[in-house]
Amino acid sequence: MTNAPVVFVVDDDQSVRSSLKFLLSTVGLHVESFDSADAFLRKNLPDSPSCLVLDVRLPGLSGLDFQRELGARKINIPIVFLTGHGDIPMSVRAMKAGAVEFLTKPFRDQDLLDAVRIALERDRTRREHEKEVLILQQRFDSLTSREREVISLVVSGMLNKQIADQLGTAESTVKVQRSRALEKMHAESLVDMVRMIEKLNGPSGRLR
Amino acid sequence: MDVHARDPADRIKQLQHCINDLISVLALPAMWSGGEPSRIVQTLLDALLRMLQLDLVYVRLKETGGQTPIEIVRFAQSQQDIAQPHEIGEILEGWLGANPQEWPLLMRNTLGDRDISIVPLGLGLQGEIGVIVAGSGRSDFPQQTERLILSVAANQASIGLQEARLRSEQKRVASELDQRVAQRTTELAVANEELRKEIANRKHAEDDLRSSEEKHRVIVETANDAVVSMDETGAILIANPATRRIFGYDPIEIIGKPLTMLMPEMMRKLHENGFKRYLATGKRHLNWQGIELTAQRKDGQEFAVEVSFGELTSDGHKLFTGFIRDISERKRAEDQLRASERNLQMTQAELARVSRLTAMGELTASIAHEVNQPLTAVINNGSACLRLLANRNLEPEVLRRALEGIVADGTRASAVLARIRAFIKKEPADKNPLDINEVIQEMLVLAGHELYESQVVVDQQLTTDLPFVLADRVQLQQVLLNLIMNAIEALASVINRPRLLLVQSRINESRDVLVEVSDSGTGFDLEIDRVFNPFFTTKAKGMGMGLSISRSLVESHGGQLWATPNSPHGAVFSFTLPAIEGTAS
Repeated sequence: MTNAPVVFVVDDDQSVRSSLKFLLSTVGLHVESFDSADAFLRKNLPDSPSCLVLDVRLPGLSGLDFQRELGARKINIPIVFLTGHGDIPMSVRAMKAGAVEFLTKPFRDQDLLDAVRIALERDRTRREHEKEVLILQQRFDSLTSREREVISLVVSGMLNKQIADQLGTAESTVKVQRSRALEKMHAESLVDMVRMIEKLNGPSGRLR
Repeated sequence: MDVHARDPADRIKQLQHCINDLISVLALPAMWSGGEPSRIVQTLLDALLRMLQLDLVYVRLKETGGQTPIEIVRFAQSQQDIAQPHEIGEILEGWLGANPQEWPLLMRNTLGDRDISIVPLGLGLQGEIGVIVAGSGRSDFPQQTERLILSVAANQASIGLQEARLRSEQKRVASELDQRVAQRTTELAVANEELRKEIANRKHAEDDLRSSEEKHRVIVETANDAVVSMDETGAILIANPATRRIFGYDPIEIIGKPLTMLMPEMMRKLHENGFKRYLATGKRHLNWQGIELTAQRKDGQEFAVEVSFGELTSDGHKLFTGFIRDISERKRAEDQLRASERNLQMTQAELARVSRLTAMGELTASIAHEVNQPLTAVINNGSACLRLLANRNLEPEVLRRALEGIVADGTRASAVLARIRAFIKKEPADKNPLDINEVIQEMLVLAGHELYESQVVVDQQLTTDLPFVLADRVQLQQVLLNLIMNAIEALASVINRPRLLLVQSRINESRDVLVEVSDSGTGFDLEIDRVFNPFFTTKAKGMGMGLSISRSLVESHGGQLWATPNSPHGAVFSFTLPAIEGTAS
């Protein structure tokens, strides 16, 4: 979040690459361009909001294959596709696979800039969410196994007494373990705790 | 034996002996009955030799009825082989004349070392059968009884020989008869066989003739073609049943009538003259094998026929037979075939046009990316510059680089387009020296149906002896057909004036071959050269590529294609092609 956003451009045409870089630079965006999918894959991606502006027709790996390849590598970078001619079935496939936009060359500059802005925003949100889940996960990992047990039962809506009965301990013991778990998770309330557990159970979480 | 024996007893004995001998002699015929003369003679000789105790007996039979003469001699045991029969014969010859009446009763001769008395006796009343000679050395030979026995024996032998001769003659005659009968029978059998063969052959021939006649009759009767015969006067003699189907006349109706009634009026005189000339000179005024003519039905309808003629001379008279086939259906089919062939060619031309367009479409798709790349770059750079200008962010170096990029990409885009144009021009062309008039006429024929349907009047003003042009025939056809079809379509909406299509060919001032296709159609309201732009069309169904392609085809041949308004209506499409050496024949 602290790092400046980066736009990656992959197009085999040098003129197009440099013109895109120039256009995006006029709105203050940092651009890194590549002439092939392989060249992009060799790059270590920075920990900053980023997106990919990708020509569908590439030598070697096609744009759509490249999109699938990124998915397989768990690289969740938003993609703005560029195509030489409006091929509707191709654009539908790309959008279904999570593309942000599918632009037909030549395109209006504003359309590209809007698409890039949306893509970066989407990536920023995703990154924030992933970061939050990561912190929650670290906190959750610091709980003892008994504290995790107590917390999962608390979240499911059971009362302290019921938990004590189920675990075969005293109600006072449950009370202590519960307050210690909340403290370790930095939860301000039980409601806050439930929200955190839900995040951990979500698509970016590790529970389940 | 002595006949003159005095002793009565001896005499009686002698007579008894004689009677016994006579009985023996009379019994001889029973022994030789049915026998051959040689057997009769031998039996006789043996009997006489024994009975009369002769020293020799000789018989000579004359030649009769093809039988060889027989000469036999017998000697007594003691006189064995003293002489050969012919020697005896030769001796006798001197004594015995031809007439037995004149023969001596007795002769004496020496045979060997003995004197012999010889008695000759004729066989047959006149000695005609032969002679028998008995000889004995006894001095008293022949006694009376002996002479009696000899004469009786000779008579007996004569009768036997006579019979034998008769028999043998009968046998000969019978065998001859048999032989003749057999021969005749054989001859008859042969003749019979020949006759039978001949009958069979004739029957066969008759059968053949009948079956061949039958066949011919069936063929003629059942033929699909009308078979009509006429005599030297031109009168119809025979007409088969098909005549009714083809001409509408019952055969009976037209027999005896002139053949010309089956022809349309205009052909009758021609036929009569030709026929007369043929009879007079033997010269045929038309082909006799499968000529196409026009015939006339009973109802007056004229129709196309194919006729073959045959001529037969019989009993000095000429018979002409025509085999007439109704080909009106075939003609119709041929017309249809021609029409569908033309349609096919039109379709092929259309197909060629469409496939060219398709190829161009694919080409367009495949080059879109290539053209879009520089265009994208140009637009991106231009947009970026505008943004910088709007923000008053004016760094000349940045702007200069962007503008240089724009110029470079614009140039690049135009190079891509040039490549496309070059690609189109590279369509394989098979250029050969062509007579442009020939191609024009082909295309007018090809479009004949459409011209006719659209009621377009075509005027050709083609200059003969034009030089050849070096061109791809198909491409040239495409250009011409395109111009003709365009003219037809431009004329389709014309209703208040003639629909005219004028096709001209000539040499222009530059010594190029010039072709003009003029119509009296709707012409163009718009700027006239725009018609050559791709996708420009005034037609509802048009793709707007025809003239554009035609122009590039003409240009690829080193010529030019242009349009001018026609006066007072319509358009003129003109194109030139460079002439080459040589002149169309």
